[in-house]
Amino acid sequence: MGTFFEHYFDLVFGLVMRMLGNRTAAEDVTQDVFYKVQRAAHQLDIHRDPAPWLATIATNACRDLWRSGADRMGRRSASIDVDPALGERLTRGTNDPELDALAGERERRVQQAIEGLPEPLRVPIVLHDYQGLSHQEIAAVVGIGHAAARKRYSRALTALAERLRDLGPES
Amino acid sequence: MSAPGPAPLDVAERSAQDAVRALPVPAATAAFRARLKHEFATGAIERPRSLATAPARVLVGPWAARPRAFAMAAAAAAMIAALVFVANRGPAWQVAAVTGDGIAVIDQRGIPLGHADDLAAALHPGARIELPADASLELMAPGDLAIEITPGTRMILPPTPGRWFRRAIRTELGTGELRITTGPRFHGARLAIATPEVHVEVVGTTLAVIREPQGTCVCVLEGRVRVGAMTGPRPGPMVPVDGGRRRYVFNDGRPPEMATMRDTEHLPLGALRRQFRAHVGP
Repeated sequence: MGTFFEHYFDLVFGLVMRMLGNRTAAEDVTQDVFYKVQRAAHQLDIHRDPAPWLATIATNACRDLWRSGADRMGRRSASIDVDPALGERLTRGTNDPELDALAGERERRVQQAIEGLPEPLRVPIVLHDYQGLSHQEIAAVVGIGHAAARKRYSRALTALAERLRDLGPES
Repeated sequence: MSAPGPAPLDVAERSAQDAVRALPVPAATAAFRARLKHEFATGAIERPRSLATAPARVLVGPWAARPRAFAMAAAAAAMIAALVFVANRGPAWQVAAVTGDGIAVIDQRGIPLGHADDLAAALHPGARIELPADASLELMAPGDLAIEITPGTRMILPPTPGRWFRRAIRTELGTGELRITTGPRFHGARLAIATPEVHVEVVGTTLAVIREPQGTCVCVLEGRVRVGAMTGPRPGPMVPVDGGRRRYVFNDGRPPEMATMRDTEHLPLGALRRQFRAHVGP
């Protein structure tokens, strides 16, 4: 179980963090995902890559959180002080403080743009472009048809591009 | 003909796509990672308190992903089920005749037998009926069956058989006598009559069930019923009783008797049958 955890923790936490943009909520949802994984461990097919299965559980856990309204409450009370990774992010990377700061600012803006998307559009963007899932896999995760998944992603990308119009290329 | 491919991305869309793809993997704090790993590996992991009120969803499917569609489908299914349930209901009991007067006790409430509206309103399936010693009541479920409740009888009113399902119904006789005849719409239904001594199964016939201090007599005018003596909570072997016969099951340990039906039952059972047939046809 420890090996499984080590192998997939970053995938789950990263996906949830990108979906929610809130560290406290992401930790809670990540714990919820691994709790569910443990309860459903008997369903795990050892011959198949569990990543899509984990992505499905993680996505649904995020959607449950959005529906519960707890996410909005957490968002109101969150502040920079409760994001201990922010400090790491601002000093980590190139050993060039200016470049690190620029990269951090760029990441913050992209993350904010993602969070600004309505939830039905946020999911396909994160799953496709951050997580690397195919439209077919996203369709299975979200529970819609393949064509609908493509269309939803296309709308999401248009909306995200609008929000990032003045971002400029990565330096 | 193949489906058209995705539209080419414009510069802004391509740039947005690249920006998301370039996002680094967010790092969790070492403390959180270590704690969660320990709990996961040892089986001590629990749902976070902040999420514990929401149901844990492990299995996912299209319904789980479309709560609104699910809710609409569930509402439609519930409406159809309610319509089917209502349409399935058999006819309501009607008061066909009241002989004598006095106060019937229905569900522990006294109702003067002369108040037809109050009486009709009180007669629902499962109602506990107790008639005074000098009055009888004739109830009819048009097309299905008629029941004559004789003076001094205590019984539980059965539901009428459903049109398509729930066609097995049950009544209990505490004391007194019930005369019962079935109509053409009763075909395929089943009526069980229970007393402390016997279990009677009726599938279409005219009969009387008489609960007396020493036991229960089942008198069959026509058709055939099956009678089982109660041995504990369940009836013993069911014995067929044909038209013109009676079976008496004693409550003092004597073996049941089979004999010719009582003469005194011929007339009232025949009258009940004639009245009901006149109302619903043969």
